Amino acid sequence: MRYAYFPGCSLSSSASDYDLSLKAVCRALDIELVEVRDWVCCGASSAHATSHLLSVAMPVLSLSHAEEDGFDRLIAPCLACQLRLKAANKEMQEDPEVRERIHRAFDYQYRATVRVYHPLEVMMEEGMMEVIRSRVRKKLSGLKVACYYGCVLTRPPKIAQFDICEDPQSMDSIIRALGGEPLDWSYKTECCGVSMTLTRSDIVLKLSNDILREAKEVGAHAIAVCCPLCQANLDARQIQIEDRYRVQYGIPIIYFTQLMGLAFGAFSKELGLEKLITSPRGALEICGLM
Amino acid sequence: MEVKLTEDRGRLAERLQGITGENVMLCYQCKKCTLGCPSAYAMKMKPHELMRALQLGLEDPVLWSGTMWICLSCETCNTRCPQDINILKLIDGLRTYYLNRDYYNPVRELPMMHRLFLKLVRRFGRIYELGLVFILNLKMVDPLKDTDMAMPMFLRGKLKFFPHRSEGAKELRKVMSRLEAMEEER
Ligand code: SF4
Ligand code: SF4
Repeated sequence: MRYAYFPGCSLSSSASDYDLSLKAVCRALDIELVEVRDWVCCGASSAHATSHLLSVAMPVLSLSHAEEDGFDRLIAPCLACQLRLKAANKEMQEDPEVRERIHRAFDYQYRATVRVYHPLEVMMEEGMMEVIRSRVRKKLSGLKVACYYGCVLTRPPKIAQFDICEDPQSMDSIIRALGGEPLDWSYKTECCGVSMTLTRSDIVLKLSNDILREAKEVGAHAIAVCCPLCQANLDARQIQIEDRYRVQYGIPIIYFTQLMGLAFGAFSKELGLEKLITSPRGALEICGLM
Repeated sequence: MEVKLTEDRGRLAERLQGITGENVMLCYQCKKCTLGCPSAYAMKMKPHELMRALQLGLEDPVLWSGTMWICLSCETCNTRCPQDINILKLIDGLRTYYLNRDYYNPVRELPMMHRLFLKLVRRFGRIYELGLVFILNLKMVDPLKDTDMAMPMFLRGKLKFFPHRSEGAKELRKVMSRLEAMEEER
């Protein structure tokens, strides 16, 4: 299967580990990724706080490149990007006034035929689970994983149309297929506060602490994530959180694609594991992977 | 506080409906939005109070509370609202309307960040993380903010010194200026 690939700003800089591991996993699953020609930033939270039209126009620019180049499916691994892209598609399909004005601003007339997928959605496509199971070389036996889905993978359901909104299961089922043990916990879709990370870090530290604390309480060896922003928050800020709240977590925040890659037998270098700030060594020793 | 609902006071709700299509009058104060809101604890005016204030047209208290900027855009409130009100869309309507207006804002750094973010994206087509952090920290007079977090990222090659440029930046600039012209027309 061939997909257009929209890495987004994070994966092309700070989250190169997610980028590497996603590509490795896709190679193993015979999924071809072709980077969208001259893509630009999705606008994140700044575009929709500035102008509604701009928040549609920025994703449309990249989506229209994919459409022009003959793609009808696109993978966006960052939660913020995938929501902005999906929301822009919906606006273009359903709001004639927005469509008319966007068309006036562009030379190419985007028809909204490119369907946007988060990598987890691709893994949930029919028949994929069997393929994933068949690729497992080293089981994650004994590894207790808290799957953290973040804010906008399943919300708002009108746009996301994926998984169970308040208690998603897709990542859990992947961890199970890899031989690991997904944990039941109640912070799967709580917000980590990342949109305030540069401005009001006090809020971010509190929300991220809540998530880490809950994961620790249910006995997680690791938290699996599916977004570069969640990862950066929970991992790079973990020391600040430990300082501020006088606690000791040391929980590695690992991309679900890195766990897949490990189970498929890829080398840790190929998966960017050395880029994680909280070392995953302890957790991976539990299942004999390090 | 006693508030009289006059025609003048209804204008804020009307203006917001014009921008967002959402009707604040549908809110019946069940508080479900506030109970699920991750940043409500940091808001002087909670989401359901914001809804009430909008119904009553209390523009100044709405602005002075800073609630629209403390909101994390996490989409929880509108997912759960039994009246199917898109609260975040209303908040976005407020943000876009007041972004460049002059008023007392207790969280000035948020609109500042959004403007800077878009300025950088306009130039490079992509976000330049280090540049954004550096300029923002200077503006917030907190130049060393998060250096303890940046160092380990830097050492692992996670923070790039120079910006990435996208070839799409030129097209983006053209689209942005066309949109601005359209918005001026209105
Ligand atoms: S959830 Fe909806 S109806 Fe209930 S208080 Fe909030 S906005 Fe009003
Ligand atoms: S979108 Fe904003 S107001 Fe709504 S629950 Fe999230 S943080 Fe609170």
